[in-house]
Amino acid sequence: MQKDIYIRAACQISAQPPLSEEWLDAPVRYSEPYVRAMDPDYKRYLEPNVARRLGKLLKRAVLTARRVMEASGVACPDAIITGTGLGCIENTGVFLNALVREGEELLKPTSFMQSTHNTISSLIAIDARCHGYNSTYAHKGISFECALLDGYLQLKAGEASTVLVGAHDEMTPEYFVLLKRAGYLGGAPGGFGGETAVSMMLGRQRAGSLCRLRGVEIAYRPSADEAGRILNGLLQASRCSLDAVDAVMIGTNGHPRNDAVYAEMCPVLFPGKPLLRYKHLFGESYTAPGLGVYAAATVLHRQRIPGHLFVHAPGEAPRNIHNILFYNQFEGKNHSFILLSSCGE
Amino acid sequence: MQGGIFVTGAGILSAIGKNKQETLGALRERRTGIGPLRYLNTSHTEFPVGEVQWSNEEMCRILQIPDTAVTTRTSLMGLIAAREALDQAALPDKRAPRVALISGTTVGGMDKSEQYYLDFLENDTRNAYIAAHDCGACTEMIADYFGIFSTVETLSTACSSAANAILLGAMLLREGRVDAAVVGGCECITKFHLNGFNTLMILDREPCKPFDACRAGLNLGEGAAYLVLETAASARRRGVTPLCRLSGAANTSDAFHQTASSPDGEGAYQSMAGALAAAGLAPEEIDYINAHGTGTVNNDLSEGIAIQRVFGPRIPPVSSTKAFTGHTTSAAGGVEAVISILALRENFIPANLRFSNPIQELAFTPATGDEAVGTLRHVLSNSFGFGGNNTSLLFSKIE
Repeated sequence: MQKDIYIRAACQISAQPPLSEEWLDAPVRYSEPYVRAMDPDYKRYLEPNVARRLGKLLKRAVLTARRVMEASGVACPDAIITGTGLGCIENTGVFLNALVREGEELLKPTSFMQSTHNTISSLIAIDARCHGYNSTYAHKGISFECALLDGYLQLKAGEASTVLVGAHDEMTPEYFVLLKRAGYLGGAPGGFGGETAVSMMLGRQRAGSLCRLRGVEIAYRPSADEAGRILNGLLQASRCSLDAVDAVMIGTNGHPRNDAVYAEMCPVLFPGKPLLRYKHLFGESYTAPGLGVYAAATVLHRQRIPGHLFVHAPGEAPRNIHNILFYNQFEGKNHSFILLSSCGE
Repeated sequence: MQGGIFVTGAGILSAIGKNKQETLGALRERRTGIGPLRYLNTSHTEFPVGEVQWSNEEMCRILQIPDTAVTTRTSLMGLIAAREALDQAALPDKRAPRVALISGTTVGGMDKSEQYYLDFLENDTRNAYIAAHDCGACTEMIADYFGIFSTVETLSTACSSAANAILLGAMLLREGRVDAAVVGGCECITKFHLNGFNTLMILDREPCKPFDACRAGLNLGEGAAYLVLETAASARRRGVTPLCRLSGAANTSDAFHQTASSPDGEGAYQSMAGALAAAGLAPEEIDYINAHGTGTVNNDLSEGIAIQRVFGPRIPPVSSTKAFTGHTTSAAGGVEAVISILALRENFIPANLRFSNPIQELAFTPATGDEAVGTLRHVLSNSFGFGGNNTSLLFSKIE
């Protein structure tokens, strides 16, 4: 049996032009602290009753899911797995505001019905009539990696041969204020709070795929030594050396507290490696790493790293891009490593 | 000892008991935990509930957490149940190198958010609770109290969250990712979902009657429960005695409706059939089914039809223990896993309380608890969530 696992297709709606890879050559730049996603004209893509009935987060999820299913020729994936830090916070906020402002007597069910985190995965299953494995991870800044790890293991264990993995978080104006108060967003100029909607199809078919998914590791509060051991384990299991890694994609976002962890860890974990970024394009949200993996997969597919992705201007950009390591950390507690390779590797 | 996934610890906290011993006593003596509201500050006092009979302050004292610490009711309950499970599995005393904590919740810190939401919006006095709102924060509070976990994840598939945490733990063990996994879930009652369920008109104003023709909805409950799962090799190396095996599990999607189950129970049928297939067991080998059995008109009929489709004319004793505990939502998969394990080990069928009228469309009636069962060898536990997230778990005696 073909054991290699590939990212067959991916599709995003974010602060960059939707359903496209325009960000590679013509990235939209932002200076404001809070940016909502650029929504496509849903009427063009979704049936009127679907477009009317669903909130933005769910419309984005259904549309990106449908697009990657179509692009990879999968009508019903064996598994549907979503990572979402906060779930359907717009609907949650509507119900919660009504509850705390108007009391418990006049509430309506509509917003409650679509307020649970698993609404996204279930809705995609209902939309595509898929009775297979269906799950949702909600764990702050590594929600997406938990979903990706599950999908990777489903394929590796032979439980599934196609897995739809999504990263979905919306950011309401109200929740932006809350997350700023909590110190997560708005730490400095240069970074912005954004929204994430990205779907990707994992499978075993190499032809036409974006890249190979070699391995996924997550860790909770590892010491620097432990993080190094986990990284080495990932590279060894993938028969890849750090020397063969062309670049490391990281989650710097302009927030001093966040960036300090990368400043401390990167020189120890991957000394001298070119560092790439993605949050300058897509902003910060709990599942922004989903967009980072999408960006790395796109770069491997196109075999070109645009200059704006480099954290520091490179002496010479690598010519053939074989391996990109993705490294994310959240508040110094949750860490993840994902190894992606070009399909030829 | 055979290969596979073993349960080496279990902890439970619900309206019917603060540990396994109390829970077993209540089940045996048919003492329900459903009663009038006592701890939740809501105007809906007309609904009976299954509350954990401790205040947050009492739980803090038991856990020796200063009451000035930022905590949520969900995480406090989770801590108490996780501690019982860890103690039984001799963790961390008999060390396992890589231990995961995988917890299911949906409301997370909503109990505090609904109390402080206007402060969240208007001032900086409750900022610590903004960070404590999400599901992951709840799991990390538990992780940081014990400080022994190298992998920490949060599942949120509504009322099957804890069951899916158990399923994921088994996957991580089989794939050699961890040596032991503490898996389950926790959830307190909040005004948010009490009112949400009320707007859906699925709350019974009387103590609930699962699988009764006159059932009129569910009673909310709260609680937490965790299992310690590990491989045979790990249990042997650490010298701990397993309670039972997790012999099979399956997660499927009903793919029907955001808040309703399908008329033919397709998702439930597939999750039960999938768990049997994973365990390599035939339907007639199952000795007891701990049903999801919420007491709503829709669930019990849909689940009953699915049970008939899987088991045909030979349906084993079926009961819903939600008439004891209330529906503990995201924790239910854990609470009912522990109850299933108690039944398996003690060889008894927990009664389906308050049943009197058979459902016409179904060919079976729920267990009275008086069944002569002999030895239970295999027990199936169902947990179904909003959106059709259906999961079935199979626990088996160690032969």
